[in-house]
Amino acid sequence: MYLYNEFDQTLVNERVEQFRDQTQRFLSGGLTEEQFRPLRLMNGLYIQTHAPMLRINIPYGLLSSKQLRMLAQISRQYDKDYVHFTTRQNVQYNWPALEQVPNILADLASVQMQSIQSSGSCIRNITSDPLAGVCADEIEDPRPYCEIIRQWSTLHPEFSYLPRKFKIAISGAPQDRAVTQVHDIGLHMKKDATGNIGFEVLVGGGLGRTPVIGQTIADFIAEADILSYLDAILRTYNRYGRRDNKYKARIKILVRETGLDTFKAQVEAEWEHSKGGELSLDKAEIQRVKEFFIAPSYSASDDNKLNSDLETSGAFRQWFKQNTREHKQAGYRVVSLSLKSPHRAPGDVTYDQLQVIANLADQYNFGHARSTHDQNLAFTDVKTEDLFSLWQQLDEHQLATANIGTITDMICCPGLDFCSLANASSIDIAQGITETFTESAIETGSIKLKMSGCMNGCGHHSIGEIGILGVDKKGEQWYQLTLGGSDTHESKLGQRLGRAIAKEDVVNTVNDIVNVYKQHRNGDEQFASTFKRIGIQPFKDKVYGTR
Amino acid sequence: MALVKNKQITQDNWQDLAAEQTAQANSIVSLEYWQQNKLTLIASQQPIGLKVSGEVAAESFIDALEHVALIAVEFPVFSDGRGYSLAKTLRDKYNFSGEIRATGDVLPDQALYLSRVGFDALLLKSDASAELAIEKLTEFSVYYQNDSTNQ
Repeated sequence: MYLYNEFDQTLVNERVEQFRDQTQRFLSGGLTEEQFRPLRLMNGLYIQTHAPMLRINIPYGLLSSKQLRMLAQISRQYDKDYVHFTTRQNVQYNWPALEQVPNILADLASVQMQSIQSSGSCIRNITSDPLAGVCADEIEDPRPYCEIIRQWSTLHPEFSYLPRKFKIAISGAPQDRAVTQVHDIGLHMKKDATGNIGFEVLVGGGLGRTPVIGQTIADFIAEADILSYLDAILRTYNRYGRRDNKYKARIKILVRETGLDTFKAQVEAEWEHSKGGELSLDKAEIQRVKEFFIAPSYSASDDNKLNSDLETSGAFRQWFKQNTREHKQAGYRVVSLSLKSPHRAPGDVTYDQLQVIANLADQYNFGHARSTHDQNLAFTDVKTEDLFSLWQQLDEHQLATANIGTITDMICCPGLDFCSLANASSIDIAQGITETFTESAIETGSIKLKMSGCMNGCGHHSIGEIGILGVDKKGEQWYQLTLGGSDTHESKLGQRLGRAIAKEDVVNTVNDIVNVYKQHRNGDEQFASTFKRIGIQPFKDKVYGTR
Repeated sequence: MALVKNKQITQDNWQDLAAEQTAQANSIVSLEYWQQNKLTLIASQQPIGLKVSGEVAAESFIDALEHVALIAVEFPVFSDGRGYSLAKTLRDKYNFSGEIRATGDVLPDQALYLSRVGFDALLLKSDASAELAIEKLTEFSVYYQNDSTNQ
């Protein structure tokens, strides 16, 4: 992974001291709440229902064991012994005290971590494929480009007071595991006919109250030009994006109101001036950053021990099938650490678990871990001969729930329990779903369930195969369901099932939906395929016919 | 009001042109005034400044650039970032080398970014704000982006 040099470290240290001064001035009355607000947001600090919430960046999901231990230590020293992993590969603390935040940031800086621009109307954490560098279908490793874009966007003087937040995701494989189509900018790595590396650029995707699938604005931008092209998009957005209504301020609205062709012409007019200029990336710089992402030193290994382990334990076999995947290196597997156990809210990890994960990462995974957009963690380089022992230890700490890709591996926002924006709770619904489906999750097959406590859509409900959205009706919590969404390389918005469902009926309704699917599926047909074939009507009939 | 230039509080030799008045040397005129009195202003050969809101596109006053010594970019509210792109465009695309001054809702905590995109003069609300802004200009010793300033 990328390691800071003295330059990077100085910048992060100076940022901590800047925020320490800003916090002190706010606490002593030198800054108004309105003036402090964008400053604290650009350091990841929200004011929430119970306490401030602090969001820490995990750039494109890469973590070292040392960083994991620091996240654990901070949760113990300043918070309540747990952290929450988000859909943008970041981590959140729900209970820090405002006056302690500069100290937390200083502790993070000591392990090359930061919260710069993890919130606010600026360019956010660059996210990517959690399987970057290890998946067999990869065209090019996106991580060096993520890092280059991270540096370019960090403390960007021109693009820190944008109309609204701005999210960029990069995928290096045809299978999109970074939901690039619902980002303000999605970048797909590709090669042209002569093998030159570049990007297809998508613009104007997003979730929230107006979910939109991004559209291609450029088929191929060469790697040397990617920063100047991003710069041109950002300048066009900064200049023309709406500022009169924060619900219409995202770039997706600008692209829709302007029209893609006109928007593209504006970007190209801007780019014409800057292309080939100071933002051009030279080969040497790209190569310098690539050196940080060379594959670890794999050793020759075979699957003999794995095969005999698989014979001995059914539970291990089930976990292996559900929670590990193919690696491009023979004798290695990618392991998902499920953060969706029945014991905890989706995405939450305790202090003890973080320590265990750090130790296991050192023991089995070259000292690294990754966070994923579906709120799990991954060990991407585990020898198959170590899998059994790793599984036993993960299992002991409730990190081996064999449910990756199943209905209990749901994406879920913190909801009304923590978030001041939420209309409805999501964690208790998640608990109900987990209780109902824990026994049958594997047999039920792959269903992506995504749930948000309000229309801001942090739980990605719009692209869930089953989407659940909490709404407020005269002070009561109701839930709007959608079906048939997709977060793949062919992302799709779900269709509305019908009128909202009362809170006490949500889990039963999900059960009804699953039963309709099971009744209609052909063999091991997946939910998405069955839904495509039979449409929404049988689900409507079942859910509303009986109520 | 206090003007910060070259990292110090500086005497302001410019004056906003009041309504119904005629421009003289070192007047800062509105875009409307410029458009209505362009020929006279050019003929007078006096140093003139032009004030525009951050939302105005550079293309709409491109004809003024070779005739004015100063462009004041007005921030209606500090969180409106359009003025940053305007200054950057004036410096990088149109090579404007006169003074670019930030006015309006300009706060010390924004001073550094403003200076990085090409503002070389910042009009703060008070001496205290101006002193804090000067401190804030040196808060960072490293940057990932190139500089667009003459400061």
